[in-house]
Amino acid sequence: MTTLTAPPGKDTLMKIELDRPRCEAHGLCEEAAPDLMHLDDHDDLVLDVTEVDGAALERARAAVRVCPVAALRLV
Amino acid sequence: MSAPVAASDIDLFADDVLVDPYPTYTALREQAAVVHLPVNDVYALTRYDVIRDALGDPETFSSVKAIGFNPMVNDALQGTSLASDPPVHTQLRATLSANLTPRALRGLGETIEAKADTLVAELATRGSFDAIDDLARAFPLEIVADLIGFTGTVKANMLRWGQAAMEVIGPMNPRTQENFPIAGELYGWCSQVTADDLADGSIGRGIFDAESRGDIPEGAAGHIIHQYLGAGVDTTIASIGNIIALFGRHPEQFAKVRDDLSLVPAAFAEVLRFWPPVHAWGRRVTKDVEIDGAVIPAGAHAAILFGAGNHDPRHYDDPDTFDITRNPVDHLSFGYGPHGCAGQGLARMEGHAVIRALATHLTSFEVDGEVRLPSNITRSISELRVLAHA
Repeated sequence: MTTLTAPPGKDTLMKIELDRPRCEAHGLCEEAAPDLMHLDDHDDLVLDVTEVDGAALERARAAVRVCPVAALRLV
Repeated sequence: MSAPVAASDIDLFADDVLVDPYPTYTALREQAAVVHLPVNDVYALTRYDVIRDALGDPETFSSVKAIGFNPMVNDALQGTSLASDPPVHTQLRATLSANLTPRALRGLGETIEAKADTLVAELATRGSFDAIDDLARAFPLEIVADLIGFTGTVKANMLRWGQAAMEVIGPMNPRTQENFPIAGELYGWCSQVTADDLADGSIGRGIFDAESRGDIPEGAAGHIIHQYLGAGVDTTIASIGNIIALFGRHPEQFAKVRDDLSLVPAAFAEVLRFWPPVHAWGRRVTKDVEIDGAVIPAGAHAAILFGAGNHDPRHYDDPDTFDITRNPVDHLSFGYGPHGCAGQGLARMEGHAVIRALATHLTSFEVDGEVRLPSNITRSISELRVLAHA
């Protein structure tokens, strides 16, 4: 797994967590944060990045926000 | 020490409130985030954050014997994913949504686009048509018939069956009483339908095949089809009617989407935010819940007012303005969380296809003669004349 970093001290590093059984592949998270996650050929969500801060954290928040079934969270 | 819960003598299901609930929503929302309505024996949730939090917390806001506003419908819905909580809900939901994922629907997407395009192209050549009968009803009925694989008399009954399935979720008023027998016809059909009644290659036929293979429990196929028809017909009809009514009232917004078809998804999200198809939905509070210092007592019935949340100025700037560039992806009209609308992918395909077809075939249009009839749960337009300019 990779980490997208921002200037140090600007933001807290947070982890994206997926509740896999709840994910129904609506795909809205991928639209919000295409660099952080994608649906594979089987419609399984792949988290390409799990730890985020800075601008990536903002996109992760947008992805969490837009999931219609609350399958994503930031911890 | 908790503050007393705000109360109001408003009747959420009074005819005038159902036809135009927005003044009531505004009054309740400005009164408090939670307002006790003794007439309906519910605690109304009125603000965006409170509604979204409740929908995301099934442990506190349970769906068991709770989503409807009369005991008879809550009894009838027992054992469905709609009326269950995790962990029981998880498996029921997976079975229901398996055929509604983007991958399952991929094949249907092109058909939906093509059908919307053909239908709207034909209406455009007529010059004037009824937005509801000729488009908002005709289109989703055809799509759901294709999806489930039925034809003939069933198709002819779907409109009244779909309306009745939503109407009976209301309180035990005359509308609910009149519709129970009709909702029963739908239930009856779903209980006796077999694979052979459904077209080869349809999703409905696939659900029965899954049952015969043992992939889903015995008897589950009929229940799944019942939920597709009960939940997916009347609401989709409402949202397509709303597309035409709102663009008719706001021609400058229609011009924007015509100029830039990439705005189609945002336009549909704004239509859904502005006028959610569902008026109110229930939850049962499992323990005392404190919201803004006021306590909803354990066991109480909560009424979620999606339209009140969607017009909350604490969440959306200038919420009473219809603006298709807003892109309100987090609107509440599909609900949210474990019970979020299972058919929202299909609904989006249909809504987007209709908007694209209108933007492709009409330069502009005017609407008049809008008729709304009071309805307990689905808020929709019954008649709307369109004067189209190709």
